[in-house]
Amino acid sequence: MAAKKLRRAQLSQEMCERLSRYQITTCQDFLCLSLLELMKVTGQSYYEVQKLLCKVSRACAPKMQTVYEMKLRKSVNPSSAFLSTTLHSLDRVLHGGVPCGSLTEITSPPGCGKTQFCIMVSVLATLPVSMGGLDGAVIYIDTESAFSAERLIEIAANRFPTYFDSDEKLFCMTRSIHLYRELTCCSVLKRIMSLEEEIISKKVKLIIIDSVASVVRKEFDTKLQGNLAERSNFLTRGASVLKYLAEEFSIPVILTNQITTSLSSGPSIQADLVSPADDLSLSE
Amino acid sequence: MQREVGTLPLAPALRARLAAAGFQTAQELLDTGPCGLSKEIGISREEALEALQVVRQECHGDAARTARGSGATRKCTALELLEEEQTQGFIITFCSALDNILGGGVQLTKITEICGAPGVGKTQLCMQLAVDVQIPECFGGVAGEAVFIDTEGSFMVDRVVDIAAACVQHCHLIAEAQQEEDHQKALETFSLENILSHIYYFRCRDYVELLAQVYLLPEFLSEHSKVRLVVIDGIAFPFRHDFEDLSLRTRLLNGLAQQLIIIANDHKSAVVLTNQMTTRIGQNQSTLVPALGESWGHAATVRLIFHWDNSQRLATLYKSPSQKESTIAYHITPHGFRDVQPPAGTHSSEGTEMNPRKRPRTEEEKQ
Repeated sequence: MAAKKLRRAQLSQEMCERLSRYQITTCQDFLCLSLLELMKVTGQSYYEVQKLLCKVSRACAPKMQTVYEMKLRKSVNPSSAFLSTTLHSLDRVLHGGVPCGSLTEITSPPGCGKTQFCIMVSVLATLPVSMGGLDGAVIYIDTESAFSAERLIEIAANRFPTYFDSDEKLFCMTRSIHLYRELTCCSVLKRIMSLEEEIISKKVKLIIIDSVASVVRKEFDTKLQGNLAERSNFLTRGASVLKYLAEEFSIPVILTNQITTSLSSGPSIQADLVSPADDLSLSE
Repeated sequence: MQREVGTLPLAPALRARLAAAGFQTAQELLDTGPCGLSKEIGISREEALEALQVVRQECHGDAARTARGSGATRKCTALELLEEEQTQGFIITFCSALDNILGGGVQLTKITEICGAPGVGKTQLCMQLAVDVQIPECFGGVAGEAVFIDTEGSFMVDRVVDIAAACVQHCHLIAEAQQEEDHQKALETFSLENILSHIYYFRCRDYVELLAQVYLLPEFLSEHSKVRLVVIDGIAFPFRHDFEDLSLRTRLLNGLAQQLIIIANDHKSAVVLTNQMTTRIGQNQSTLVPALGESWGHAATVRLIFHWDNSQRLATLYKSPSQKESTIAYHITPHGFRDVQPPAGTHSSEGTEMNPRKRPRTEEEKQ
């Protein structure tokens, strides 16, 4: 929306040409200027510029929905709102399971079972809807090379022996889990950016990133100057793209994180959410 | 009438020509007339007429504003302001301790900012307020509608349904306890569907969409004149990444703050913003401070900071023009935002008999 070209925003041809002489071609460039600057580049009066601003804003502003409309839309498809984890007490606490349309984070000390959980949820997502699955493909971004295909088959065969009764079915399931090994922050971000087309073409119903923390902690040493800002930049960009994908396609996104010790005068162990909120501000 | 030509809202090229021709005041322009003007500065008669109409509108606008002192003006005496403030409603938060430290609740025509770490309850309070603004006047509310601008995607429809259901239930209990006719009538329109239909939701994915939406808000609010609350959940999120040019960010944020103040005043609505926390590394220690920098601190009139103390959630009133700084504890229950324990028996001052915000004791135990 931000990169929308002005000529698609219903501005007149000559206005667009005039603005492009000042390198203003997208809605983002237009809206970032102050009113005085806009008057200078468009050569229009104050009132005309305000009307132009409204026109351009209408081209990029989001659509309005009332909460009632949103509720009605959700109630049309109640079963697709959650992916059940088949752990009954966990599902009860989560009010149904891993929610579709938002990001879920799983965090723990090493060896507790995050990767195992992710492998199990990938199997669940490929199951048909009648068995509680999402009947779709899975995108698994693995940064630690911890994914084991043999373990995947072992889980599937032992957990659902009646469904996966033939090798054929097992291979069909493994074909729908797409594994990407990314070992640097840059490649993880590039992969996340390219997911939109994959989701549509492969009919993906679940995205798993295991784990965000390992690749970030390898590359960013928080004691060095400027690294915290870059780290938070990378995280928030990734987070906003993932949120967009989750909402747009109504699919669950699962991220795993690690534990660290937060040294402070208070109680010692606290989960370090490698979270975008907890970083150095770009202070002025 | 003595306005200088340079200050009129005309196109820059036109202003340059007028200055070159020697025109100095608006009166001179009006005296010359469109034909004379077009001959002197070499523009067409239609353009000259348009320019003169703009000038006339400006000058009349000035005169009218100084003479009438109507709603378009922003000048009034302190007495008028006092009368307005005393009759103005507040948007209650259902946590009486928080309402008390705020002086009655979230104030209309002011910008309130809520800062806090993730998970502490900022979005919960915003959803609670979006429901509470619709409480009918006979129950102590302002009977308005709400605009919810979401930049983080943390809005949950099911949660709003729960909060709204609890609020309707609460009002039913009050109506039963007090048995007045206007309560029954108000309850007919205060139903779950009505509440949900009057919360207008916008999902902005980046700062450009947020800017565009705020430019379009005045028009939206004139069409929906009953809106009394504008919530922007996550003003910090779109501005914290992808901004190499910090001065642009400061300028955009300041522009946003100004527009929100104008919206709050002109449409008599409350503006509630939520902000994130960030770490400021000091000499030997680091502290959590609200994000977006020092100059953003001037944008909000009232600032609340939500934080944890072991496992208790606390709210601190950090900045307010009329209330003193204090801290209270609050709870997030399945019904929404609530006090930690039932409020004490003594309620302040006169007017509580008529004030339906005084909740009967029995209800707290039922919850």
